[in-house]
Amino acid sequence: MSEMMWTEKYRPRTLDEIVNQEEIVSRLKHFVKTKDFPHLLFAGPPGTGKTTAILAFARDLFGKYFEENFLELNASDERGIDIIRTRVKDFARTRAIGDVPVKIIALDEADNMTADAQQALRRTMEKYTRTARFCLICNYSSKIIEPIQSRCAVFRFSPLKDEDIAKRLKWIAEQEDVNLTEDGVQAILYVAEGDMRRAINILQAASALGTTVNSETVYKVTGRARPEEVREMINLALSGKFIEARKKLYELLITYGLSGSDIVRQIHREIYNLNIPEEWKVKLAEYTGDIDFRLSEGAHEDIQLSALLAHFALAGTQMRKGDKIG
Amino acid sequence: MSAIPWTEKYAPRRVSEIVRNTEAAMKLLRLVKEWKPGSKGILLYGPPGTGKTVSVYAVANELNYEVIEMNASDTRNVQNVMRIAGSAAMQAPLFAKRGRIVLIDEIDGLSGREDRGGLGAIIKVIKNARVPVVLTANDPWDPRFASLRQYCKLIEYKRLTMWDVVKVLRSICQKEGIIADNEVLKEIAKNAEGDLRSAINDLQALAEGRKRLTKGMLGILARRDREKNIFEVLRMLFSAKTARMATFALSTADVDYEMLMRWISENIPYHMNDVEELAKAYDALSRADVFLGRIKREQNWKLLPYAFELMSAGVALARTKSKFKFVKYSFPSLLRELKSSKEQRDLQKKVGEKIKKRCHTSVTRAINDFLPFIRTIFRSNPEMGAKMARWFRFNEEEIAFITGDSKSSKEIIKLLR
Repeated sequence: MSEMMWTEKYRPRTLDEIVNQEEIVSRLKHFVKTKDFPHLLFAGPPGTGKTTAILAFARDLFGKYFEENFLELNASDERGIDIIRTRVKDFARTRAIGDVPVKIIALDEADNMTADAQQALRRTMEKYTRTARFCLICNYSSKIIEPIQSRCAVFRFSPLKDEDIAKRLKWIAEQEDVNLTEDGVQAILYVAEGDMRRAINILQAASALGTTVNSETVYKVTGRARPEEVREMINLALSGKFIEARKKLYELLITYGLSGSDIVRQIHREIYNLNIPEEWKVKLAEYTGDIDFRLSEGAHEDIQLSALLAHFALAGTQMRKGDKIG
Repeated sequence: MSAIPWTEKYAPRRVSEIVRNTEAAMKLLRLVKEWKPGSKGILLYGPPGTGKTVSVYAVANELNYEVIEMNASDTRNVQNVMRIAGSAAMQAPLFAKRGRIVLIDEIDGLSGREDRGGLGAIIKVIKNARVPVVLTANDPWDPRFASLRQYCKLIEYKRLTMWDVVKVLRSICQKEGIIADNEVLKEIAKNAEGDLRSAINDLQALAEGRKRLTKGMLGILARRDREKNIFEVLRMLFSAKTARMATFALSTADVDYEMLMRWISENIPYHMNDVEELAKAYDALSRADVFLGRIKREQNWKLLPYAFELMSAGVALARTKSKFKFVKYSFPSLLRELKSSKEQRDLQKKVGEKIKKRCHTSVTRAINDFLPFIRTIFRSNPEMGAKMARWFRFNEEEIAFITGDSKSSKEIIKLLR
């Protein structure tokens, strides 16, 4: 006997099974019918069904020839545009199998590509238009260069409503014989922040502790799962403890394997939860954005993030002195 | 002093004579013998004086090959690499009477400035070589060598023990007819820290022309300080009061600038505890980094002086309040930790790959979004964990890594059998 990750076990297999994002699903169903569709760009927060939608769409479209006609790539793993190009070339060289005009290439986390790589991707997209359609998946469509955006039909995935996630969780709990209490549901919703994948992962991990899942077990597994390391690092920096903050940073980079831009993104999110004067939040966000930009240009993460922490240390002192922002 | 250094006079002529790293040398011999066009290059790595270069010559001697060598004293920019190593490796006659090895020694010594492009040229030589190309390095995990490593088979050379070194020193003394106290040889060996070449050099400096070697003669031996240069550079840089002095300090460094940037970054906070200075110094350093990125991307080497000035003067002159004090400089801790955690990270990556395959996600996301939950499940519910391990096809090593504690991993592995 084997046990799957529930995110996979309960991932909708067909477009009919998807209950959210009605507008998008109905467009995709239309594409299945006409067998004619443009390049696609799916944008939206994590865990809102982007990957699920493209998988279901491809399955509905290709039927038993799904494997032959569908290529899944991940921009943050396939190192460099050259690898992507070769894999796309090998795949798109031949015509689609079965009664369909084109193959589909799904490129996940496309917003992690540099602008240069995207330019190269654009040329690749054009080259294989006769045999393949691309589906780019990203969190922020703004990070996709305009020439690509203009070649794609852009679909925006909105955050899932709490009641939809709650419904799904309860249904899964029923299938798995898990006693999910109401405060358990609320706790999961609170930590998952609209991310279905995270919600289901939490449910599965909590159910490993015992057959009843309540707020206590939920917080137990999430406490272990998502360390508050980033917040701690920021607070160390703001209180002027630079060396300790840097140590935390290295821990995040090495032990947690986070990328520099992951950390920057998390810092950015945390800024607005900090207990500091409002005008400083804007100032810190501005500097964080600067660093984010430099990283996207290929600067070194350890150097840039050290500079960010040093800047936070300075800002912390100025806030405490009540200085005006200079 | 006689004309021949003892390091050469007593260099091993056969693979079996290599001390401590005999097996590594045998492996080299085998790879060279079996090498054919299209095979990878061979990268020998390990601390100085562990027998990397002499192995190559011993192998060549046994096989009656010739060695074409390029080392740190040659400038190794693109033109030179192609001219010397390239022509030796890529234009070797196909049916030569005598085999040939191309040796590119001490690639750590490639400097960022004079040898620019050299690494790329070396890769090109390896890919197109008609004869085996052997490289040596102290630290093959240097990020600069990431792509080079893919084109090479790696052979590790281990540091020699004090007793290995003493044994060699004693046999040299015997051949030279020198009577030496065991204590003295031990002292020389200890001082050499596993570097046989420096030990033999020290021995020659002390003992040549003498018949007897006693402890009293050791005084003239200077303690070897392997990282002296970088420490001096940093001291000079951080104490500089003018822009000119700071940039001069930087120009005397003999490590490449990415490494230098790490050294500076590591040690800024030990010189500046005022947050304003700290922010200013890092601001300068991080902007130097931006310049370096542009230079690399656009190959616009004209911009290099700006990067150097920011990195040196920009950092040094940020110190306006803190007094200059003596700092025991530390090696960049990020690099140290990266090195020591490499095995763990490799495993983590393998686990991430397997999760990725099953869950339609990226390795990074697998590690961040899935792994913590899987870990919780493995630890708190081995039965469920075993079933999941089967689905993911985790092997025992990976299970042990995921759980991080031996009790639950043993339980899971037992359930799987």
